[in-house]
Amino acid sequence: MNFRTARQTSTSQTSTRPASTPHRSAGRRAALRYTGLGTAAVLALALSACSAEDGSAGADSDAVSGDITLLTPIYEGAAGQRLLEDELLPQFYEQYPDVTVTVDYTNFARLNEKLTTGVVSGLVPDVMMMGVGWVEAFADKGVLANLSESGISVADLEKSTTPEIVQAGVWEGDVYGVPIMLDARFGVARMDLLREAGYDAPPSTWAELVEMAEALTVRSENGALERAGFDVLSLDARQMYETMLFSSGGSLFNDDNTAPAFNSAEGVEALESVVDLIHTSKVEDTGYSSTKETVNPLINGRAAMGIAHNNLWTQTLEAAPELLPELEPFLIPGDAPGMFVGGTLATMSKGSEHPAAAQALLEFLASPGPALAANEQRGNIPALTELLDSEYAQGNRLVQFSMENLDVAKREGGPSEWLGLRGEIAPAIESALLAQKTPKQALDDLADVFAGKMGG
Amino acid sequence: MSTTRMHPATPGTPPTATPKPRTKRRRPWKGRLLLNVILSLGAFTMVIPFLWMIATSLKSPAELAQFPPTLLPQVWQWSNYSEALQAAPFHLYFRNSFLISAGHTIITLVLGSMAGYALARIPFRGREWVFMGFVAMLMIPTYTKIVPQFLLVKFMPLFGGNDIFGQGGTGWLNTWWALIIPGGLSATAIFLFRQFYLSLPRELEEAARLDGLNEFRIYAQIYTPLIKPALATVALLTFQESWNNFLWPLLVTTRDDLRVIQVGLAVFQQLDSTSWHYLMAGTTLATVPMVVLFLFCQKYFIQGFTHAGIK
Repeated sequence: MNFRTARQTSTSQTSTRPASTPHRSAGRRAALRYTGLGTAAVLALALSACSAEDGSAGADSDAVSGDITLLTPIYEGAAGQRLLEDELLPQFYEQYPDVTVTVDYTNFARLNEKLTTGVVSGLVPDVMMMGVGWVEAFADKGVLANLSESGISVADLEKSTTPEIVQAGVWEGDVYGVPIMLDARFGVARMDLLREAGYDAPPSTWAELVEMAEALTVRSENGALERAGFDVLSLDARQMYETMLFSSGGSLFNDDNTAPAFNSAEGVEALESVVDLIHTSKVEDTGYSSTKETVNPLINGRAAMGIAHNNLWTQTLEAAPELLPELEPFLIPGDAPGMFVGGTLATMSKGSEHPAAAQALLEFLASPGPALAANEQRGNIPALTELLDSEYAQGNRLVQFSMENLDVAKREGGPSEWLGLRGEIAPAIESALLAQKTPKQALDDLADVFAGKMGG
Repeated sequence: MSTTRMHPATPGTPPTATPKPRTKRRRPWKGRLLLNVILSLGAFTMVIPFLWMIATSLKSPAELAQFPPTLLPQVWQWSNYSEALQAAPFHLYFRNSFLISAGHTIITLVLGSMAGYALARIPFRGREWVFMGFVAMLMIPTYTKIVPQFLLVKFMPLFGGNDIFGQGGTGWLNTWWALIIPGGLSATAIFLFRQFYLSLPRELEEAARLDGLNEFRIYAQIYTPLIKPALATVALLTFQESWNNFLWPLLVTTRDDLRVIQVGLAVFQQLDSTSWHYLMAGTTLATVPMVVLFLFCQKYFIQGFTHAGIK
């Protein structure tokens, strides 16, 4: 089947939706009109065109039936639940009336436990949403269905999604997950504060960033930090470092994901740059901010620049909408332009008793309309490049910026052991930030831990 | 404490010594003042997070973003509560949490006290080994028990479509059984009950036996009424632990109508952002049952903690 064709064609269709959706924004209404029943109809045609020899996934809508389960860390809360159950699934049911979907809501913090207990007990949900870096582990364990065998190829996905993003759902050359939404980390500047200091644009080189950050740092007479020139502490230390690593041209692992590579010269330089910001340039003090802050310091002016998540936009929209025009995103300047990207992918159980129904749901949720609606509900970045033109993406500067720069985005993950490795990164980075170890020592020690766990 | 004993005067004879007035020894006022200041500081420190939670629950996102933060809300956003309650079916979650917590508490009080009584007062071969087994269970981290417990629930014979060997169905998953039975009794509760029963005098038991009471009546009518502080303590701790449980109800259920209050609160905490005003409003409401329960039980609760030495 042609997965891309199914999704692209669907955009020209219209939808019938429940009338009682007052909470929905105009953008989402447009998003849902964007696809609607047509999506499902064309998906059905696409599915019927599939030539799966066992007939499991390739079937027309009449042959697609069964009770299936969906495990999802997105669509949570009443708003997400209304979107999924009152708007999206009714569209799906209109095309597949013989399919029933039972939704199991969780959150990312507990998704691993839900999946693990499901796997060990043999109760794997038919369709599962999981994060970037997760597919490798569950594909390697034989939990996930190989979607390439049912007609979803890497080449087809790459026609509508950036190759680096597509690779997040690929294991050993085959597709196991289809991206739905992304989230990115990049530099953000408060332009009103920059203008006060005499700057009219974000930094374009690292030296410029350091100089500007020093100039923008404000301390009281007794030396207490009142405004950080460049905030690196509000983001999870792992994600902050990976943003720096990717911007310096480094990688987490070698090309075949068999050994760590972050302790390369580029990786060490990236961490040294952050450590120097704190201990040499003194643009931020350790303890000044953290991931548990009630509000990002860029919003209340406690930082002039920083590395931030794209949801800074929705936070600012809620807390200080007048500042939205002042948020200017930029790629962290380094040897190579880079941006950290995570996300959510739809996967399918290898042991599903109703593979055709499961695949139909997976493709429906990953198609433009439903994917756009889900992204808008969470303030995230659509994985489909064609959605850059959507009203939602054009109305959210940070989402728009992220989508425009997906070609330089890099993701985490790679080896199947990633889920057991990633928790080791933040403590190592923090040991360097606290000057307990030199950046090289911290990364070398971390590489040893990685090598040990990867069997190297 | 040094008090002067008053010798009653013999009628008709004068007292041989002038009795000193009875005095009550009091701490020096400076010492009392210092003690009260320290205790007040301690109490204030304890109550600050609670006050912060309530204040945050009444602030707007714009006010939460202010720096320096405001102590009290500039505009009291009572609507945070109604809006938070609309974010998830909290009435259902409250009901479920209450039923589960009450179920756990009843099971613990009935079966836990029986087990504690048996370990404390009924001599049988291997009793110390059984007790050591319970003590050992206290050392097992909760996380390591999750998967085995989940498998036990999933493969429960003759439930949820399972055959006699526990195959073919879903066992107790997605049922009240899974929510109530596995967490119904804890080694901690049995340990506490044993300690309380041990502290009671053996003479009561002997007198009861002479009066012809059987073992169950000695347990139910003689000893258990004497350990009300223990009952209150264990009940409160059990109810609190069940009320705050998040992971287990999330794992063993997929239906929204079986989810609990802590799962509801989690919707305000996404991976990379938290709606603090709603989270604090929801948390404030979630703490109300615990506070009410403590107010009713505090007399016994404090006695129980003091007695068990688990301050």
